Amino acid sequence: MSAPNYAHPETLVDTQWVADHLNDPKVRIVEADEDPLLYEVGHIPGAVKLDWHVDVQDPVRRDFVNTADFEALCRRYGISNDTTVVFYGDRNNWYAAYSFWLFRMYGHQDLRLMNGGRTKWEAEGRPYTKDVPHFDTTNYTAQEANLSVRAFRSQVEAGLGATNRGLVDVRSPDEYSGKLLHMVNYPQEGATRGGHIPSARNIPWAKAANEDGTFKSPDELRALYGGEGITPDKEIVTYCRIGERSAHSWFVLTQLLGYPNVRNYDGSWTEWGNLVGAPIEK
Amino acid sequence: MPMSRQEAVEFLLEHYQNPQHRGQVPDATFVRSGGNPGCSDVVEMSAHVNADGTLTEVAFDGQGCTISMAAADYVAEITEGMSLEEIENFSAEQLMDDLGREVVMTRPTCATSALSILKQAVHEYRMKLAQEHAGG
Repeated sequence: MSAPNYAHPETLVDTQWVADHLNDPKVRIVEADEDPLLYEVGHIPGAVKLDWHVDVQDPVRRDFVNTADFEALCRRYGISNDTTVVFYGDRNNWYAAYSFWLFRMYGHQDLRLMNGGRTKWEAEGRPYTKDVPHFDTTNYTAQEANLSVRAFRSQVEAGLGATNRGLVDVRSPDEYSGKLLHMVNYPQEGATRGGHIPSARNIPWAKAANEDGTFKSPDELRALYGGEGITPDKEIVTYCRIGERSAHSWFVLTQLLGYPNVRNYDGSWTEWGNLVGAPIEK
Repeated sequence: MPMSRQEAVEFLLEHYQNPQHRGQVPDATFVRSGGNPGCSDVVEMSAHVNADGTLTEVAFDGQGCTISMAAADYVAEITEGMSLEEIENFSAEQLMDDLGREVVMTRPTCATSALSILKQAVHEYRMKLAQEHAGG
């Protein structure tokens, strides 16, 4: 069902495992996409939709929903504290991994990603439905946010120059170099300055994925990150522009490679690149 | 009155799943391609311009995300019958409102890509006409 060579193989399930658990009441399948309408076009039977822009963001402050709202979200999805939550989505599970990270921060224990996401499910000719499932609400109890997986600006600043710190900029090379002030197609998520946080290594997030959307092997991933000096003995911080692509890299480093100390800096470049006086390298 | 989020989703899905203007206009006056290859959005707009300067037929082709394809179909639909000037004055903000701003605001480039391409094509066509006119 899962790849045994990864550090935490239990967090990765394949498409057949999902197909075998479509009607398992202990399993809740959650689709989280970058393309905001794909779920409505068709989704895995029984899957609920998580819209990253609506469901997990505070509508006023720049922050995630609070514990109470996260709790309400899980209750609405019919998720109990012991439910196995399986995320999948488009574009190499980009937002599925982001959702995984967010659910981990709020302390949900049994989380999985469907390896390959929509790309693999479709390539295998597996069925979609437009039927939106409805589940009985639960009494889900969320924990206070576990901030050990999240980095804030002050922590990034405090770590600048530390030899035991590894910064990973997972954006495209053009964003890293400062040629682009925003990601292609996301002009509203730009910054006034281009470049990267000093000492950050550029390891674009999608390099961790194969053509079919599945994750690369442990050896390939170790070479990808280790070759840039991003090793498990360091305190690692990943970032992109708002923390979604870097959550994917956080998943790879923590769940697939077993790095013990990795935080995702969700303020990312939209925060750092707009800060007055912040040090920047190009 | 603006569409609700659910109405906007249904509106966009209808255009995405049942496009009425996909293809290329036969004997098109102009054809222009563009988009964002970096995120796999590629859109081609084609149109036939009547002698009176109105677009009698507009079509789109290409591939991309749901919003870019739905928006392209809507742009082709709404611009048929418009004059060249009306198209050049058709703002991206107006299009975002038409499509359902609440849904498309996270993808503004996708939402407005087809309109941008069509406006560029119209602009170039008018420049060409002006040059021909100036050249006698």
